[in-house]
Amino acid sequence: MASTSGSSRRNAALRLLKRRLLQAIPLMLGVVVINFVLIHLAPGSFLELMTAENQVSDPATVELLRKTYGLDDPVWLQLVKYIWALMHLDFGFSYRQNMPVLDAIWVGLPATLLLMISSITLAFVIGVAAGVVASAKVRTVWDTAVSVAAMFFFAAPSFWLGIMMIVLFAVKLGWLPVSGMETIGGGGGVLDILHHLILPTLALGLFYAATYARVMRSSMLEVAQLDFVRTARAKGLSRRRVTLSHVLRNALLPVVTILGVQMGTILAGSVVIESVFSWPGVGSLLFDSVSSRNYPVVLGIMVLGSLVVIAANIAVDLIYMWLDPRIEIR
Amino acid sequence: MGNKEGVMNQISRRVFGTGVLATGLVGSLVHSSRAQGEPKRGGTLVATWGGGEPQACYVPAGGGSSPTFSSSKLFERLGNRKMTGEFVGELAEEWKPAPDFKSYTVKIRKGVKFHDGKPMTVDDVIYSVSEIWKKYAAAPALSDFAGIETSGDDAVVFKFNKPTPEFFFASLLCGNVNYIVPKHVYAGTDPVTNPANNAPIGTGPWKFKEWVRGSHFEYVKNESYWRPGFPYMDRLIIRYVRDPAGRAAAIEAGEIHIGVFNPIAPPDIKRLTATGKFVATSKGYEESVWATTLECNMRNPVFAKTEVRQAMFHAIDRNLIAKTVYYGYARPGTGPIFSPNKEFFTPDTYKTGFDPKKAAALLDAAGFPKKGSAKRFTLNLLAAGWFAENGKIGSYVKQALEDVGVGINLTVPDRPSSIKRIYTDYDFDLAISNQSNPSEPVPTTTQYYTSDGIKKGIPFRNASGFHTDEVDALVEKIKIETDPAKRKAMVVEFQKIISKEAPLLPLLELESTTVASTKVQNHSNDPNYLAASWHDIWMAS
Repeated sequence: MASTSGSSRRNAALRLLKRRLLQAIPLMLGVVVINFVLIHLAPGSFLELMTAENQVSDPATVELLRKTYGLDDPVWLQLVKYIWALMHLDFGFSYRQNMPVLDAIWVGLPATLLLMISSITLAFVIGVAAGVVASAKVRTVWDTAVSVAAMFFFAAPSFWLGIMMIVLFAVKLGWLPVSGMETIGGGGGVLDILHHLILPTLALGLFYAATYARVMRSSMLEVAQLDFVRTARAKGLSRRRVTLSHVLRNALLPVVTILGVQMGTILAGSVVIESVFSWPGVGSLLFDSVSSRNYPVVLGIMVLGSLVVIAANIAVDLIYMWLDPRIEIR
Repeated sequence: MGNKEGVMNQISRRVFGTGVLATGLVGSLVHSSRAQGEPKRGGTLVATWGGGEPQACYVPAGGGSSPTFSSSKLFERLGNRKMTGEFVGELAEEWKPAPDFKSYTVKIRKGVKFHDGKPMTVDDVIYSVSEIWKKYAAAPALSDFAGIETSGDDAVVFKFNKPTPEFFFASLLCGNVNYIVPKHVYAGTDPVTNPANNAPIGTGPWKFKEWVRGSHFEYVKNESYWRPGFPYMDRLIIRYVRDPAGRAAAIEAGEIHIGVFNPIAPPDIKRLTATGKFVATSKGYEESVWATTLECNMRNPVFAKTEVRQAMFHAIDRNLIAKTVYYGYARPGTGPIFSPNKEFFTPDTYKTGFDPKKAAALLDAAGFPKKGSAKRFTLNLLAAGWFAENGKIGSYVKQALEDVGVGINLTVPDRPSSIKRIYTDYDFDLAISNQSNPSEPVPTTTQYYTSDGIKKGIPFRNASGFHTDEVDALVEKIKIETDPAKRKAMVVEFQKIISKEAPLLPLLELESTTVASTKVQNHSNDPNYLAASWHDIWMAS
């Protein structure tokens, strides 16, 4: 019986995965088309900037460059060619980095993913823990402390928080490095990277922790009022067991939902935090690429960012199914 | 020279500021000189600058300040200019003009090796000049270049179609990115896309080791450097921190030892230098003075009359901009040649001082009287968004011109849009832009005012469209006058004409700063320190 149930849940998960992947195709197409059009609507092109930087005034050379980068085609044809190339995993060439776009992004992607994962993990752990404490100690000093802290970190801009933390922990106390991902020339080990990761993770993650804490608190209080919790208590289960095994699991659903939705905003937030902490990720690359109209890289990051968000949302759906088996029935 | 500050990175010019006043500058330099002593060898120097990471470590055409900063530690030029103004040989031992000044013989230094161990020869010099300088790095300056050939094993002869002044030639050899590059690495390739641009092989005191994109360059000591005993230090790290506040924190925490070209904001300069652990100086920028300029688009018939252009400058209180926008780290400009230029500057020019009444009178005289509350005319003012300060200046200029009855529509586009609108589309009536010029006025300065400087799509040339036969002819004479005194008199004449015509003038000359730990010795000792080799920098214990 248990095996049948397990197999049926696995099949449901596979069906969901297949459905989500199919839905991702038009979604990705939309992302590519919208971003391509938006970028081309912005005044100034990378060719103009490139010729400016290289002081190229010879019309023949400009024309040759236009041809080399496919800019002599009409915009719609450029879009079609770009989509066709994407289907073959060719993200184009970045004139600025003088390398394929995928290589340019790949250089910074691990750093960005590391920052995103550590921030979201920190936000989830602290947010959920704070929400549980606040709901368990509702209307006490603990609850007030969590609410005040959540309000503070929710309201504080992450770049300001980052700078303040640098001043306190790096400059005044000297406990942590000011910026970078590793000690230049002398580091690079796991501990060294973790040491450098602390401040950017806090600066990026605490905002989301504040959000999760608020949502978790109200969700816990809501779930605690439901019949099955009363039943569990009536069965004589300890308060701790009821909270952790019954209330927490069900209260997590809204937090997991917003976690998936927020993957995109965390990627956007990392652009700011990477700038403050000189974190060598794709955020810095995106910033430079936008300001140099480096379209292929901007589009490449948008496409990969969308893939990350889609993957995160699929993962959230699967986690959702695991947390609440009824979802497969719906 | 060819390295016009083609495309400037987004740099906050708020970094110019009041902070470095007496306590910061004077006091700290005294401290610095006291710390000087026997150079200490070894160690790692971590440096930064007030902008972002370059697009490539070396850009043959220059590509702006960032690649110039990173490449100038790896490559070298034939000549160099000292703080005293004297020209000295670097990869050249000496140079001598022919009697007719139509050719120069340059003796190449012997015993110089590239970082890959291959010797630098006259072939490398010939390749660099004919393929890199002529096509990219110094194309405008080499308009009369007729070729280069060997003269024995250790000399080359530069040939020109016209007589070439000695100061011009020496400046050419010292041009920002007029480097000698290895022919064996670049010949037969496209120099712009050659992968070696991201891991350059030069002759400089530092050898490229690694580029961690988004973070830093790591250079190591060139053990085979031709200057015996240099560099003093073992390692040079060029680190990129995008945010000025982050740079200030890194300098304060000791993670960065020196920052050039306005690395931090003025209040931070004051705070750091007050501790006695840091120095700030505006030395080292004498050959790369930056200015904020106001350009009148002569294609607009409103500007046909000189009085209207002059009125634009009389209506603006530039001292107020210097004080409020640049925290005192700027001074009103007077003419096309900037005041630190000891060779050619003259203060004896048309005075465009702040005088709103005169501005109004000039506009009246030009046939644009003010009738009641109606505007005399309305202009589109574009403040180039590559420096944050330009937008602030734009807001003030709008108010100032509206006070004399000129309507202003202000826009502050970002860098690519500004470049396109000013230098490709000429889509502006007034533009607040920037330029950085060396001492030699031809062609970097003069091309803003001559007809051959009007090149659509090429930034930091003549976008105003101003040109007169008189100025064109005068510049042609300046180009070929080989008598220094006569040449100076012509450049003074040029300044007088341009300041009166007022098609494009510096609103302000900006003062750049370097901030360093007091442990850092022998810095800011070159008139273009950002582009210097830093072979003699060292750190005290």
